[in-house]
Amino acid sequence: MARRKAQSGERTSDKPRSLGRDAMHRLLKNRAAVAGGAILLVIVLAAVFADFVAPYSITEGKIRDNYAGPSASHPLGCDFMGRDMLSRLIYGARISLAAGLIGALTAFVIGVTFGLIAGFFGGKTDNIMMRFVDIMYSFPTLLLIILLMVFFKSSFSISGVAEGGFRGALSNIDRAMGGMFFIFLGIGLTSWLGMARLVRGMVLSVRGKEYVEAARAVGTPRSKILLRHVLPNVLGPAIVAQALQIPGFILYEAFLSFIGLGVNPPTPSWGMMLSEGYVAMRSHFHLVLWPALAISITLFAFNFLGDGVRDAFDPRQTRR
Amino acid sequence: MFQFILRRMLWTIPVIFVVSALTFVLMHSVPGSPFTRERALPAAIQKNLEAKYHLNDPLWKQYGDYMWGFIRLDFGPSIAYRARTVNEILAQQWPVTMTLGAVAFVFAACLGIPLGILSAVKQNTLIDHSSMVVAMLGVSIPSIALGPFLIWIFALKLKWLPVATWGTPAHIVLPALTLSTFYLSRFARITRASMLQVTREEYIVTARAKGVRESVVNLKHAFRNALIPVTTIAGPAFADILTGSLVVEQIFGIPGIGKYYVTSIANRDYPVIMATTLIFALLIIFMNLLVDISYALLDPRIRYN
Repeated sequence: MARRKAQSGERTSDKPRSLGRDAMHRLLKNRAAVAGGAILLVIVLAAVFADFVAPYSITEGKIRDNYAGPSASHPLGCDFMGRDMLSRLIYGARISLAAGLIGALTAFVIGVTFGLIAGFFGGKTDNIMMRFVDIMYSFPTLLLIILLMVFFKSSFSISGVAEGGFRGALSNIDRAMGGMFFIFLGIGLTSWLGMARLVRGMVLSVRGKEYVEAARAVGTPRSKILLRHVLPNVLGPAIVAQALQIPGFILYEAFLSFIGLGVNPPTPSWGMMLSEGYVAMRSHFHLVLWPALAISITLFAFNFLGDGVRDAFDPRQTRR
Repeated sequence: MFQFILRRMLWTIPVIFVVSALTFVLMHSVPGSPFTRERALPAAIQKNLEAKYHLNDPLWKQYGDYMWGFIRLDFGPSIAYRARTVNEILAQQWPVTMTLGAVAFVFAACLGIPLGILSAVKQNTLIDHSSMVVAMLGVSIPSIALGPFLIWIFALKLKWLPVATWGTPAHIVLPALTLSTFYLSRFARITRASMLQVTREEYIVTARAKGVRESVVNLKHAFRNALIPVTTIAGPAFADILTGSLVVEQIFGIPGIGKYYVTSIANRDYPVIMATTLIFALLIIFMNLLVDISYALLDPRIRYN
């Protein structure tokens, strides 16, 4: 499909194109990726404007609507407390995307900082830091997240009701976010290892480049070399790599909420809706169907877009 | 090769040390004790219980005692289930999780890899496109969504298979499918990509030019070399499938270690949490070692020294 459009889409001017623009061009020619992006855009818009889009309250339902099937007033039916499914799904998109994006961002910041320091300072520092990463790789991530979540939830959320200071502040933040804050923290603290390895590797190769040597020769301070010369060259590929990880972070949130260690009810996370609906699945399948579809479609869109982005940035590996 | 294996085995020691220490510190920093109940126990009883399980000893001593026991494969008594030792609990639950995990892994590898080969050989045909769309679906539908779908179709509507729980071989099918779908699809996608890359190598052209039969070119020349990237994800795949059973066991009500792990954390059953985490970690290390060894077997160019 790419070949067919190649002629018509090609720009004829002789102006050199930047790598980014070139990649964008390839991405736009990939129909599956564009479709994924479009679906994602709709989901993002729904999540951002949930307050205007969602027709009903997500916390209050009518008892006579318990388990109600689809109807004119509730197009997707109602859940076990008579709450409108569609509205809860729309707000659920907010939770999923936030977990994906902020979880990825937290892991990104930790991983990039760690990898940058290890790669730039090298020697013993590098050795110790990377051995630590190697060790943590053998820690089953899901188990570590569960342990961390239990630690956070019971040290800060439940018992720390009226505490002041640092603990109280954290617990208040988490409560205000419906239990989201600790999910971000839990995901971020456990998922930065790959990023640290990637960044360290890139720093090692950038560090040997002539322009870094030139900067050092004219006496540029190390901190400035690190931030002005090394970091910008590492950032691009790191961002792409991390963006491809977002579906994984969305999954962690759904898993955690499913086993009861994620968001606090009544916050409508798709994972939590699945576990709530699961109990009544035999007689009311729509309670499970919609959240299952919502999370699958979102991940599907992310993966298609992600594949397209990877192919666009690395045309040698194009598989279509 | 022998030296490499030995070094990797020695490497296990610091890994186990860090994993166990981190788990130990984390679980003991969680407020509450195994004896926290809705109705508080009388102080004297609580004190006696804590003394019995050495919970009043300094933390470093508790840790040392536990690890000393762990080395001798004595995982201590379960605190939540007073009459049983952790060894007994593990002996009952691990086989369930391992069976489920192994069946899921075999599903993933034995269906995913051939699917990938087929797609690569029939590149850009209907077979290729449709199996790649299926594989894309497979990596996108999470187990917590797929499990209920499969139950609804095969257990509730068609009534072919049991809804949940454990016991007969028929009980394994749905949870194993749920657990394996993600890696089945990843195996298919990676095998295909890797096959296509290898097919462009010159030795493949040479083999074809020599008039070697197409099936031999594909399976002997291309597949063997294409397998290396596939083995790379085999280690993580096994680890993810095992830990993924944590969620799948919840969905299907399977009495395996994953379901027990979550309960143990809620009960603050320290010895069970420790033993489970450490065994998971050991298994992951072991699988990664196996992967590294199989590299060397697959590709004689890879040498470890």
